[in-house]
Amino acid sequence: MSIRVTNLAFAFPKFSLRVKELAFESAKVTAIVGPNGAGKTTFLKCVGAVLPTAKGSLFIDGRDLAALKSRERARLVCYVPQEHDTTFNYSVSDFVLMGRAAYISAFALPSQEDTRAAAEALDFVGLTGYADRAISEISSGERRLVLIARALAQQSDILLMDEPTTFLDPKHETEVLQLVRKLAVEKMKTILVTLHSLEMAVQHSDQMVFMKRGEVVAHGKSADVFQESLLESVYDMKMKIIDWEGRKIVLR
Amino acid sequence: MSGQNNRRPKGLAVFILILPLFLLLISLSIGSYGISPRGLFKTVFSVVSPASHPDVPAAYRDILLRIRLPRVLLAMAVGAALSVSGASLQALFKNPLVNEYILGISSGAAFGAALSLVFLGRAFPPQVGGFVFGVVAVGAVLLISGKAESHFISLLLTGIIVTAFFSALLSLVEFFASPYVLQALFFWLMGSLSLASWKDLYISLPLIAVGLVILYLLRWRLNVLSMSDEEARSLGVNVRREKMLVIAATTLITAAATAIVGIIGWLGFIVPHLVRMMFGADNRRVVPLSAAMGASIMMIADDIIRGLSSFEIPIGIFTSLVGIPIFLVLLKKTRKVWL
Repeated sequence: MSIRVTNLAFAFPKFSLRVKELAFESAKVTAIVGPNGAGKTTFLKCVGAVLPTAKGSLFIDGRDLAALKSRERARLVCYVPQEHDTTFNYSVSDFVLMGRAAYISAFALPSQEDTRAAAEALDFVGLTGYADRAISEISSGERRLVLIARALAQQSDILLMDEPTTFLDPKHETEVLQLVRKLAVEKMKTILVTLHSLEMAVQHSDQMVFMKRGEVVAHGKSADVFQESLLESVYDMKMKIIDWEGRKIVLR
Repeated sequence: MSGQNNRRPKGLAVFILILPLFLLLISLSIGSYGISPRGLFKTVFSVVSPASHPDVPAAYRDILLRIRLPRVLLAMAVGAALSVSGASLQALFKNPLVNEYILGISSGAAFGAALSLVFLGRAFPPQVGGFVFGVVAVGAVLLISGKAESHFISLLLTGIIVTAFFSALLSLVEFFASPYVLQALFFWLMGSLSLASWKDLYISLPLIAVGLVILYLLRWRLNVLSMSDEEARSLGVNVRREKMLVIAATTLITAAATAIVGIIGWLGFIVPHLVRMMFGADNRRVVPLSAAMGASIMMIADDIIRGLSSFEIPIGIFTSLVGIPIFLVLLKKTRKVWL
């Protein structure tokens, strides 16, 4: 499923987001990078219609996102937050089941089909054995996977993942990003992911979008657009890219 | 550590769900005028078929039908209403400290009933004024705090301010009340079932029933609504509309309960916590079990008040005095996250 963004705008009191034209293809991972406050998360939330008052137009496979009802939209696009605040200690399976809300009437309970979809999603991220564990009793890395499983249970073709690797150790960071790649390849998802690690972004994405002060400063194929001069201008600091065994390492 | 499923004893859940029915029968036989279980059943049959049990004293029928049945039904309904209201509001505001008072309903209802008692006299049911001002208070909270989907802190702060405002108005009404009316007013404000009548039930029971049915049907949705607004919206929920629906239903049942029996402290806060301690956070279990447990606790509390003392302590005081220590003991004993 493809996304086309045209003249997207959103304003906070001291920050505004303006994106003229961007398109994202199916079965591809796009990494959105940029310094803190560049507008990466705001952009994702606008695309996911999580922020209700975004201006501009967003078309998904030719369908205007603004014209869709909440449930129809959620079946197309899913925003995966950075972290979940565990006020109430649901079990992992109950938590993943919430991903089915778009398929269940407000006054109804999840069906067997919903329960099966949630179990399959949990299995895909490798956490089947965690179904009955409480969400507060698992590690933050596992919680990221549970959030991804909930998004999978939602069965939307577009996943917007907000910094899914923050605070994770290198092993879990790699595992989560490998899972993101697997989702794009095996499930044909269109994935937009915000990341702070430039090395991880270029290694695990097909396409990159560089943002600064609420605007897109560059975008294109990751291998093409990942240049020293661009990194230096985006981050306002001296940077050097080193090739090591086919991977890019950024020195700063 | 143990997971959620380990805290789901099914037998206990079934017991809690059917307990109100047993307590209903027990509660009908307890009181200053004791009626044995045999006498109770004979009286019930004599109501259905008067000719079959001519030996049942007329006093039994009067006590059961005119005094105890409305009182026990009211205890059940109010216990279920306040507990489900508390559970729903806690989920909706993603805050385990929220209870039905936070939206100003209780203080509004208390002011309305006091106003009615002082200026319209006892002939006019104080519940009407209580209900009207309960609705006015929650309306004011929602109006002042802006859109229902705005950050919940603004809603909570507005609730506190509106509660303080209606408390001040209540003090003003008390200032003008005669000593006789003031006594009745205090008794009502402390939470009392002793004045329960069929007239009260005809007003409040249908309202409580409608609100309970709506919240029962929404019980799984409450899980989704307990996520952040952004998460809930991304999951496909029309957050604003569904929040308003939950607030409307909780307002209906809380106002109907408070207006008729006064202020019953802590029930709506403690019962959902007890249920979560035992059965986990899933509102598919929390809502019905809170209703059953709230109804049972209210009936037991009322039975103790009626059965053990010659004078009646207002049930609102009793639930607070007994409920809080029990809650603290459980909190200390379990020592684990249950929210």
